[in-house]
Amino acid sequence: MEFERFSLFLKHTKVKEFTEWLEQGEVRATRCPRCGAVHYPPRAECPKCFEEGMEWIPLRGPGKLVSYTAIHVTPDHFTPDFSRQAPFSEYLYRPAPVGIVELAEGVRVMGWIVGVPPEDLRVGMELCPRAEVLKDGRATVVLVGKERE
Amino acid sequence: MRDVESMVVSVGSDELAFALQPSAQIVDYLGFHPKPSFRVEGACASGSMAVRTGWMTVASGLSDLVLVVGAEKMTEVPTPVVTEALGKGGDPMWEYPFGMTFPGYYALIARAHMARYGTTAEQLALVAVKNHRYANLNPYAHMHKEITVEDVLRSRPIAEPLKLYDCSLISDGAAAVLLASEDVAREISKGSGKPPIWIVGLGLATDALSMSEREDLTTLWGTVEAARQAYRMAGVGPTDIDVAVVHDCFTIAEIVAYEDLGFCEKGAGGKLIEEGRTHVDGDIPVNVDGGLKAKGHPIGATGVAMAVEITKQLRGEAEPGRQVKDPEIGLSHNVGGSGQHVAVHIFRREG
Repeated sequence: MEFERFSLFLKHTKVKEFTEWLEQGEVRATRCPRCGAVHYPPRAECPKCFEEGMEWIPLRGPGKLVSYTAIHVTPDHFTPDFSRQAPFSEYLYRPAPVGIVELAEGVRVMGWIVGVPPEDLRVGMELCPRAEVLKDGRATVVLVGKERE
Repeated sequence: MRDVESMVVSVGSDELAFALQPSAQIVDYLGFHPKPSFRVEGACASGSMAVRTGWMTVASGLSDLVLVVGAEKMTEVPTPVVTEALGKGGDPMWEYPFGMTFPGYYALIARAHMARYGTTAEQLALVAVKNHRYANLNPYAHMHKEITVEDVLRSRPIAEPLKLYDCSLISDGAAAVLLASEDVAREISKGSGKPPIWIVGLGLATDALSMSEREDLTTLWGTVEAARQAYRMAGVGPTDIDVAVVHDCFTIAEIVAYEDLGFCEKGAGGKLIEEGRTHVDGDIPVNVDGGLKAKGHPIGATGVAMAVEITKQLRGEAEPGRQVKDPEIGLSHNVGGSGQHVAVHIFRREG
């Protein structure tokens, strides 16, 4: 199993452009040219009217934080093998908060929350979705405070 | 076993079973071939899918006696592997890349519920304390250990705000029920002297795979819809339920289930547990078998074990201290994933 660029198998799907947009610095959703429905996660066919040939629209926010968490017990692909790096040092590991923001377009976007101290996070606060290319070359979605816009 | 005409098998994860046809393993073990058997799934609601499929098999006239088996083995692989296998019960393409796990999904629900309704960590802890207490009286429970609110609040974080004792267990387990047509059930009942337990209501509903596609994180719409169907089919309402088992994969899930099943007003679930009303002597006893929280949650077995527990309760066969007084109508509520598939079943003892 590989996390090619953003996600599992995404590059084999009809919405693989999503990662290309991310690498160009934009979080994009699809919009149905027929009924106008906006989809996030993006869709190649509209679940409302089955139209094909979606348009890609940028999501910039700001949006309202609907909920958030920080995962301490992580799944296999996110679990660092401390035994190989620094034994007895798992306290060094601080989980990154993950949240969902609701945008004016009527969609909700999940992302890593960066640049806001965890103790300052509040449901209802304003955050903006942004694309970020990580050091390892993979792209992801982050949620940032308005001052970082 | 000779009289059983067909079998339905529930296994939640073929990754954990290390098999694409877990039904075949069980068929072999029971010496069941060449009779019909197949596997159904709906993540953590797989067991209720099997009960529903068994009911359909009888109702269609295909078989008069169906064995419904649920099983899962989860303890043979390390925790990160189980966490990953279950995490894929959520949206593997769009949410798993954020390291989301099942505790993570329910943490989002918990945080949203706390923000809107003022639900507290102490109220969540009371669910764990209750379910551990009853598991201690259930010989089939995984965990025989009473805990306190302090124990829960002091336990380590798993996915904030959920802590270790807010989470159900990684368990091995199996459960089975026999479903029979009316004539055959009466015949078996005559021989055993035990009253037949009728499945009188079935509800099944679905919801968006991604948490980010849900309109409201404080409710599982799948539960609301499945309950509506089941209550309607059974011709009863929430106040008619004498005993219930609900899907408490996390403490917050039990509180949300109270509300979505209509046992209390929306937002009042925290208060319901605080007032002790879901204990064995309360007006709506919930999870007095220990629940997923402390009885354990072997994915494929859970929904079938719920049918077993309601049957025991309605026949007065539960262990002392956790037997509800003379119940006639019982309800089971089984959630696949974080509400993608929800099944609600209503059972009635022949009076």
